[in-house]
Amino acid sequence: MLSLQHISKFYQVGGNKNFVINDISLEVEEGEFISIMGPSGSGKSTLLNIIGMLDEPSTGFHYFVDQPVHQLKEKQRAALYKQYIGFVFQAYHLIDELTVYENIETPLIYQDVKGSERKAMVADMLDRFNIVGKKDLFPAQLSGGQQQLVGIARALIAKPKVLLADEPTGNLNSKQGEEIMELFRKLNKEDGVTIIQVTHSEKNAEYGSRIINLLDGRVESSKKL
Amino acid sequence: MIKNYLKTAWRNLAQNKTTSIISVAGLAVGICCFLLLTTYLINELRYDRFHDKADRIVRIAFSHKSADDPEAKTTSVTPTAPVPVFKQELSEIEDGVRIYDYSGNRPAAIQYGDKLLSEKKMLLADDSFFKIFGFKFLAGDRATALASPLSVVITQSTAKRYFGNENPLGKVLKVNQTRSLMVSGVVEDVPEYSQIKFNMVGNYAMLDRSKTREWSSSNDYSYLLLKPGASVPSAQAKMNSYLNKLFKDQTGGGKSWFTLEPLTKVHLYSTAGGGLEPAGNIKYIYILGIVSVILLLLACVNFLNLVTAKSAERAKEIGVRKVMGAQRGQLFFQFITEAGIITFVSLVTGLLLATICFPAFSNFSGQVLSFSTWNTSWLIYALVSLFIIVTLLAGTYPSLYLSAFKPIVTLKGNTGGQAGGNTLRKSLVVFQFVVSVFFIICTLIAGGQLKYIQNLNTGMSRQQVMVLEIGGMPYSSMEPFKNDLMQQPGVQGATATYDSPVNVRGGYSINSADGKASDFELSVIAMPVEKSFIKTMGIHLVQGNDLDLGDEQRVLTPKSEERNYSFILNETAIRAMGWKPKDAIGKHIGLNGRMGTIKAIAKDFNFTSLHDKISPIVMFPEYDWFGKLLVKTNGKNTANTIAAVQTKWHKYYPNTPIEFHFLDQEFEAMYKTEQRTGSILKAFTVVTIFISCLGLFGLAVFSTRQRVKEIGIRKVLGANVMSIVTLISADFLKLVVIAVIISSPLAWYAMGKWLQDFAYRIEINWWVFAVAGGTAILIAFITVSYQSIKAALSNPVKSLRSE
Repeated sequence: MLSLQHISKFYQVGGNKNFVINDISLEVEEGEFISIMGPSGSGKSTLLNIIGMLDEPSTGFHYFVDQPVHQLKEKQRAALYKQYIGFVFQAYHLIDELTVYENIETPLIYQDVKGSERKAMVADMLDRFNIVGKKDLFPAQLSGGQQQLVGIARALIAKPKVLLADEPTGNLNSKQGEEIMELFRKLNKEDGVTIIQVTHSEKNAEYGSRIINLLDGRVESSKKL
Repeated sequence: MIKNYLKTAWRNLAQNKTTSIISVAGLAVGICCFLLLTTYLINELRYDRFHDKADRIVRIAFSHKSADDPEAKTTSVTPTAPVPVFKQELSEIEDGVRIYDYSGNRPAAIQYGDKLLSEKKMLLADDSFFKIFGFKFLAGDRATALASPLSVVITQSTAKRYFGNENPLGKVLKVNQTRSLMVSGVVEDVPEYSQIKFNMVGNYAMLDRSKTREWSSSNDYSYLLLKPGASVPSAQAKMNSYLNKLFKDQTGGGKSWFTLEPLTKVHLYSTAGGGLEPAGNIKYIYILGIVSVILLLLACVNFLNLVTAKSAERAKEIGVRKVMGAQRGQLFFQFITEAGIITFVSLVTGLLLATICFPAFSNFSGQVLSFSTWNTSWLIYALVSLFIIVTLLAGTYPSLYLSAFKPIVTLKGNTGGQAGGNTLRKSLVVFQFVVSVFFIICTLIAGGQLKYIQNLNTGMSRQQVMVLEIGGMPYSSMEPFKNDLMQQPGVQGATATYDSPVNVRGGYSINSADGKASDFELSVIAMPVEKSFIKTMGIHLVQGNDLDLGDEQRVLTPKSEERNYSFILNETAIRAMGWKPKDAIGKHIGLNGRMGTIKAIAKDFNFTSLHDKISPIVMFPEYDWFGKLLVKTNGKNTANTIAAVQTKWHKYYPNTPIEFHFLDQEFEAMYKTEQRTGSILKAFTVVTIFISCLGLFGLAVFSTRQRVKEIGIRKVLGANVMSIVTLISADFLKLVVIAVIISSPLAWYAMGKWLQDFAYRIEINWWVFAVAGGTAILIAFITVSYQSIKAALSNPVKSLRSE
């Protein structure tokens, strides 16, 4: 599904290269649930952003569903990304001016899905996440857990194959966090969504099928559960 | 998708009320001004174009230069001959018409039944008038309306005035108690944008001179209708060669020639003046055109500034949308949509504002303006293109700028790093203030000059002088009235003159003088006056004595060859003759056949517009025709004095309505164009300052927000409010200072040019720039201080929390 080969990301500081990611290679199969762990500054988020094509590596090869991402043009990359990837953020990043319904609908708009179809898909999603009653509220009117639910619903609305989550529970209390993790597990098991999450929490990491530990931009250890 | 854009845009606007209102206010005011000014320009540019044959009609201007004149004089009036002669002689000419401004010297007294009205706009014209000009007939026949010498064509509202709802055709109007004219046609009211304005047109044949073909004595406005395809230059060349042939035997080296001015160019381009009404000036059209575009630009710049200033707040949304799969193009379109909404709201507000402002603006501009000035479909095109242009102008840059945000950066909550375009925004604010300061300086200088004109000692006491229109009333009938007036309390003196002494136009020439060659000819301005003129008007004599009873007696004989004139020349005239003041007294001169001696020399005084230098003038007693009676009052209890004058008038002239004004008003009216431009300038100065301050405010919002962290840190380190306010304000004041430095020389240059149009003008003082700069800086400081104080008072704990 996804293959990173000798990926590095560095910044030139003076004459020195400052590595954020240092020669990481990684294979991800469809249906995996991977947790990326590591201390602050170990390159977790950068790695996730590279996988999500929000960021570009300085060197290395990146294949996604057998396409050489490192060779693709911006437009092709965007198309690929739109079709396969959903993103969940620590800070939810909902659009404040849009209601829950509209937030969830937005990705469909950018994928030129027809209005009637959109309606059905959003309704379905609201139903599935049990937030039908909140569809007309604005993000500011929701609790953090609810906002993250909306964030996940929005990430899933376009039926992505891969869900990338950057500390999805970082801003939530433990109970809310557990709920989100349960949801992830269910998505992974029942719907076969490939999930890659970055987390600080040992406990949340264990929801995954594989844990990768990063340190100073390198893979320190990787274990299957 | 559009719906989603509109929704987000609308909610965004609703949420950020202050900036939205500022954006809309700035744009709306800009659009309003733009609409007002373009309406004014349209009105000026469409002058005289409504005649269906407008492109074939030309006006004849007449120029004359005597051998001893430094330069030629050009007038818009011609003698009686050119029209009938050239119509006959030149194959290019289809038709022609002479127009005489019958009510020009004094309003015509028109009587219908027991109604006696004073008619200020009565023309006499050849019967071809309505065949050449396309005034619309409501009743009567265009072809024959003026066929009879005793017919008159009136306008719709004139008909209403005299006859109410009765049918005007066939009704008889008595003009100046001498002639009875029958109404033979009714035309639509003459539009504002016509140089030929009238309430009624009688037949030129009413005048004795209509039968003559004179080549001297210019009184009529002459228009020719050329045949289709005829060339104006060739017609003009033929006319002049005809004229040269006609006068080839004439000695003296004087030269006369005709110039043909296309009708549609007369109003704005004529060098001979407007004629029947004061001309416009293409220069002011250009200036106002530039001003209107600049105002619109300022407003767009403002909007652009505010939107980019808000970008920090939009950054997250943009990032999220990009992660959701939005392409740059889609985001660009979203922001353009938002700009479109603002523009639309502003356009509607601007339209309303303009509608409200039209009456006031009409006052300012001296023209009746409204949206009906526009052709409806034009207006729609104009508004639609205005919408598109403003949206693109104001929306493109912010949209490009915002849609280029990198999601990964914005989502980290770090917008400071992306806040490029700072230099651009600063330059825009500088640009806005350059314009504002420029306008402030121009307003100050123009105001100073106008005030200078009003207060300038013109060498004549024109205050508290009533000017009564007497239009050729015989002196014998005037004398008892005048003597009676002198008995009234409040009246200090009364004297009759040919012309108004603030605007003397009579062109004469001195064609014989002691010690000069026999073909000597010097063009001068001259004016017949009553003997008490010099004394009443307070004109100072440097040599010789004032006119007395003896001088009066010597010119009262009806036979002009028996008269012996006493002339008073001004100093400039004496210099032009090449004489010394003390030698000039007693010299013999001849003024267009009037023989006499120089009796006195008057100190130079201004008798025409202050645009012109004082030229030679000759005043002489001649009692054949007086146009004005000047009544000098003591200025106390003017209302009573006016009432007394009116009562006496009605006693002496029961059948003539009284017409009067004050000399002061007439003097000021000569600078109407300048005053008008001055007041327009003043209004738009306020507008530009307003818009520029909005821009500055936007920038202040942006920059304080950008520096929130810095301010927080400074406060934690112990900075007090004052030092932070200074820190932030100084940044902006720097921009304004730069603007002052840029605009001062520009304004100095531009106003120097403008002042050159005045022969009598003020010097541009350095304090003007200081005042303008100081004003701009003060206003800018007030604008910015709100933001900087707010920033300085904010709690640093809040601003530093995110770290």
